[in-house]
Amino acid sequence: MASESFWDSVKDEAHSTYQMLFTKQWPTWLAGILIAIIALMIFCWQSPWGIAAGYHDWGDWVYYLTGIFHERPLNPWLHPVSLSNFGLLLGAFASALLARDFKIRRAPRLEYAKGLVGGILMGAGAAMSKGCNVGGFYSAVAMFSGGGFAMMFGLMGGAWVGLKYLLWEMEHLPSRAVARKPPKESGGIDWPRVQPWIGGIVAAVVVLTFYVYGSVDKTQLGGWLFFGFLIGLVMHRSRFCFVRAFRCPFMTGESDTVKAVALSLILYTGGTAVIKWAYLQEPNMGIYHSFFMGSLIGGFIFGIGMLLAGGCASSTLWRVGEGQTKLMCTLVTFLLSNSMTGKLLQVSGLNKWLGKDIFLPKYLSWQLTIPLMLAFFIFWMLLAMWNEETEKFVVF
Amino acid sequence: MDLKEIKADSTLDTRGLTCPMPMLKTKKTLKGMDAGKILEVLGDDPGSKNDIPDFANKGSNEFLGFYDDPEGYTRYFIKKG
Repeated sequence: MASESFWDSVKDEAHSTYQMLFTKQWPTWLAGILIAIIALMIFCWQSPWGIAAGYHDWGDWVYYLTGIFHERPLNPWLHPVSLSNFGLLLGAFASALLARDFKIRRAPRLEYAKGLVGGILMGAGAAMSKGCNVGGFYSAVAMFSGGGFAMMFGLMGGAWVGLKYLLWEMEHLPSRAVARKPPKESGGIDWPRVQPWIGGIVAAVVVLTFYVYGSVDKTQLGGWLFFGFLIGLVMHRSRFCFVRAFRCPFMTGESDTVKAVALSLILYTGGTAVIKWAYLQEPNMGIYHSFFMGSLIGGFIFGIGMLLAGGCASSTLWRVGEGQTKLMCTLVTFLLSNSMTGKLLQVSGLNKWLGKDIFLPKYLSWQLTIPLMLAFFIFWMLLAMWNEETEKFVVF
Repeated sequence: MDLKEIKADSTLDTRGLTCPMPMLKTKKTLKGMDAGKILEVLGDDPGSKNDIPDFANKGSNEFLGFYDDPEGYTRYFIKKG
């Protein structure tokens, strides 16, 4: 019958669209573009996107509840960055469910140890550079903060040292593989069929929560949760990982992630230039990094940590969302170490020795800053592509 | 070629390991093998499904394919070039 074949073809079409959107991995360059667009929306919405500030809040709560800190921190559901972190986690969780790929993933013991140490290093590094790979590097560079570039070089150095450690570890500390138990015959529930429905419910709950925030006159806060959710979805769908941009040129020579991050930064800085130069947002917004010692040293320590953990601030969150238990350990030590290091830097007065905030257009003018930055990103891309061919920077 | 028929010369078990360890170990193991030999990699990191084929197709090596084992992990086959 004609109508039957019509509905069959609609069903086929719907099925293949679902596969394309929610099962197959998205290309890295597409994620770079989408993340830049969402980051610009967040900047227009209120202030630049970050992650570590939310971890800081969570860590403060642990210390406050255990009586170590006495000042009551902002409630996690009223802290914008904490909310976008929740959103990112839920976005990745929903995405993993939609792809029928959510599992509690166990790791060998040594990996848990690396996850814990990696979290400590990243937390401390992010406190020194006043931001993680997002707030201290990605958004910092796009906001024209000098500290963003200092952290970028720190991250490169740290990634190199971290990779050297991993190579040493492979030679000297053999790690036994963990064979996962074969999928159990679960009592009547067909998990692969159920997962996408749960994913859909998670997405609906996030949208609903946004409306709830709106109904109590907190629309701006609710927006952070929603934008975070979108980023989590994009990052998990594409397995977008900032670590790769710093690690892969030394490891396999692969340049795709460098190109994606550079492309993303070109769009993000271009958008920010429009917004700041036209005074749609305060030009000084998001300029608070420690140029250059704090950002450079912090980036270096963070870089080592992200290699050990196998995730930065953002990819730790989305990997937790797909059920990786190693990164759950990383998350805990990251927030504890970030909050404590931040406190120590503040109490000891070391903060002022780490450097000061530099807004590049103030020193170089807008006219010069924009073409210089564009040239810098293109140079980074070309260098990575040249390295992919020649493997000059590949360490083994 | 039917992947299930392949007799691998060596096997690398990376189950439980996450990015970047499966890639690092694959690269290291391939280095120590003779040209023409086949390496089988077992892994369950979802990222490997793109990373290992991309990596193995670069340079002189040849990626032969992968399939999901019913026990919940993936088997990858690479021929050293």
